[in-house]
Amino acid sequence: MKKRLLATTLAALLAVTSLAACGAKTDKTDTQTTGASSAAETTKAAAGTSASTGGKVTLNLSWWGNQTRNDVTKKAVDLYMSQNPDVDIKVEFTDWSGYWDKLSAMAAGGNLPDIVQMDYSYLNQYQKSGQLADLSEFISTGTIDTTKISESIIESGSIDGKCYAISLGSNAPMMLYDKAIVEKAGVTIPDQMTMDQLYDISKTIYEKTGTKALYDGGINMMQIMARANGSHLFDELTTGKEDSMKIYFNTMEKFAKADFSISADLLAEKNPDVVETKPIIDSSTWNDFLLSNQYISVSKTAGRDLGITMFPTITDSKSQPIYLKPSMFFSVAESSKNKEAAAKFLDWFVNSTEANDILLAERGIPVNSAVADAIKPKADEISQHVFDYVAKVSEVATPIDAPDPSGKGEVEALGKTVVEAVRYGDATADAAIGQFVPEAKKILEEAAK
Amino acid sequence: MKNNQTPPKRKETLAQVLNRPKVAGYVFILPFIIGFLAFLAIPMILSLGFSFTRYNILKTPVFIGLENYRTMFTGDPKFWKVFGVTMYYVLFSVPLRLIMALAVAMLLVKSSKLSGFYRAVYYLPSIIGSSVAVAILWKRMFASDGVVNALMKVVGLPGDIAWLGRTDTAIWTLIILAIWQFGSSMLIFLSGLKQISVSLYEAATVDGANGIQRFFKITLPMLTPTIFFNLINQLINGFMAFTQSYIITQGKPRDTTLFYTVYMYQNSFTYNKLGYGCAMAWFMVFVVGLLTLILFKTQKKWVHYEAEG
Repeated sequence: MKKRLLATTLAALLAVTSLAACGAKTDKTDTQTTGASSAAETTKAAAGTSASTGGKVTLNLSWWGNQTRNDVTKKAVDLYMSQNPDVDIKVEFTDWSGYWDKLSAMAAGGNLPDIVQMDYSYLNQYQKSGQLADLSEFISTGTIDTTKISESIIESGSIDGKCYAISLGSNAPMMLYDKAIVEKAGVTIPDQMTMDQLYDISKTIYEKTGTKALYDGGINMMQIMARANGSHLFDELTTGKEDSMKIYFNTMEKFAKADFSISADLLAEKNPDVVETKPIIDSSTWNDFLLSNQYISVSKTAGRDLGITMFPTITDSKSQPIYLKPSMFFSVAESSKNKEAAAKFLDWFVNSTEANDILLAERGIPVNSAVADAIKPKADEISQHVFDYVAKVSEVATPIDAPDPSGKGEVEALGKTVVEAVRYGDATADAAIGQFVPEAKKILEEAAK
Repeated sequence: MKNNQTPPKRKETLAQVLNRPKVAGYVFILPFIIGFLAFLAIPMILSLGFSFTRYNILKTPVFIGLENYRTMFTGDPKFWKVFGVTMYYVLFSVPLRLIMALAVAMLLVKSSKLSGFYRAVYYLPSIIGSSVAVAILWKRMFASDGVVNALMKVVGLPGDIAWLGRTDTAIWTLIILAIWQFGSSMLIFLSGLKQISVSLYEAATVDGANGIQRFFKITLPMLTPTIFFNLINQLINGFMAFTQSYIITQGKPRDTTLFYTVYMYQNSFTYNKLGYGCAMAWFMVFVVGLLTLILFKTQKKWVHYEAEG
């Protein structure tokens, strides 16, 4: 009996592994053939019939976000369901970091939700592994109407000439400041300051009001510094160049040692990675760094009007580091059984004024120019600030970095660890550079395998 | 057994087959077997296989032999750091939790009108203790503007400590949370205490032994099997702790609260290095197995079973 049980177990195991192998293979062939228009037609026809005969279509939709986004998205989805009674949309949402953990596990299991919110930094990885459906066919058949969307937006979600993701809006990195505190200290905030100016202003504000300053230690700041230095972060890290990281960690150390900086232990507790607990919200600091689409949520949580200035640059910068980031992509999963229905929803989400009346640019300024014009007057004062800021940035912005390579997540985590060591005074800038650059290079090499 | 077998040629209905004594037993345990295979045995075997591969969760695994284990032991300083953190946590949280559990059990063993109520109340933290809600509650309590600091201020101590942000205090907030969840061990201690014969205490009292002597000479030795059982149980639990580190501190500050399981999870799903994550999992299986084995070996020296005299 023991032997037979063992045999059955092994047989089952074999079946499972071979199934998994088959699954992987079909996925690949799918991506290869979807380019052909005839195949596209058949898929479409099949989807059409199944939708008409099968009754209700169920779509899964998932996104990362904050409370404001969760509320408005759910409201928009409800509206869509009431207009399309044959579509049932199940929603799921988490915060940013949990989202990617969950999504990768879902992707490995072949259960990616039909519609997934995608980020510029992850687009490459997911497309390369055949997880995302080619949307070009839906664009060419007009299921997704792109006539009022700028070509560059479609391009930003395209890889090798095929569109895999539609951006819902554009974002730009920004620095926030507390207007009341700045006024009390009697300083004026320039449109875009240098790190040295930020240092001096922070010092003045601390001396006059006792409010501390935040110096961002994340990967966004690294990217900005590299750009200001006339290069790109991942170009430097893959070749092991230290130039920009020298500027980054030396500035980091300078701020970490300053009295006016928020203490490392309080910062660890506040966790600026989560919108709702950013230190500016309870005035632990007078400034904070974020992407423009987070502004609405931070302002609402803080309950006051916060000032916006451009993300700082370095003194004697070689180029303007500010960029416009096509953000909040939506993709359809390659494993989805209802791609057509999913594409229809995307079309509505992007192009309909009534949907965007609810969403109100929380994900960024709508990419459909007619929709953007239509909702701009309706947007409240807070959203207007975002509209204005993005418009201002678009005048000076330089092109964004190429999509991040695989291994970005781990490099980012490494960066945080090293930055913490500097903040707690356990490592000097030189030690940090000596650890970060080679280790990041190793991670990127490993991930590229 | 042979007599029970039906003649081989005759056709049986499904019900008859299932009713055969040899088969019926298996049918009854089938739900467990299916669950065990689907959720434990097969995933475990697969994970052992994956631990020898480079498995970017979005791509097909590639066999790389012992590379993951080599990286783990020689090329990943963070691995040893989180291993140390986890050992520290287990080393302090498990004994302290058991002491707490025993102390409360001793209080509750005397039956009174309210003892049932108290037992339920003290057990409550263990049910809800590893939940997300409690983790968030803990985070608020130990925040720099939280209730712990407020209480400290009331009694005249410095009330502005960032418990969760300081490298020397953060892990202790998690250990305190663990101690608070003493309920299940407490219940087991309670039943253990009740089994100790009253006549032993009576005899000791007659001989003039005081309370402390009775505790160390009677209660503790008689309780050693229960202590042993709880110790093994809690040790395994301690190594598996995840929620506290993941939600309350995210491993911060300076990775001083980054538990082994959280780092394993990060590797598997955040960095998409599932193969490496599986290798880490199997090392943990080995360590926990080894510690349990050592405890079993030392059993003879300190665990007292009444039957053996």
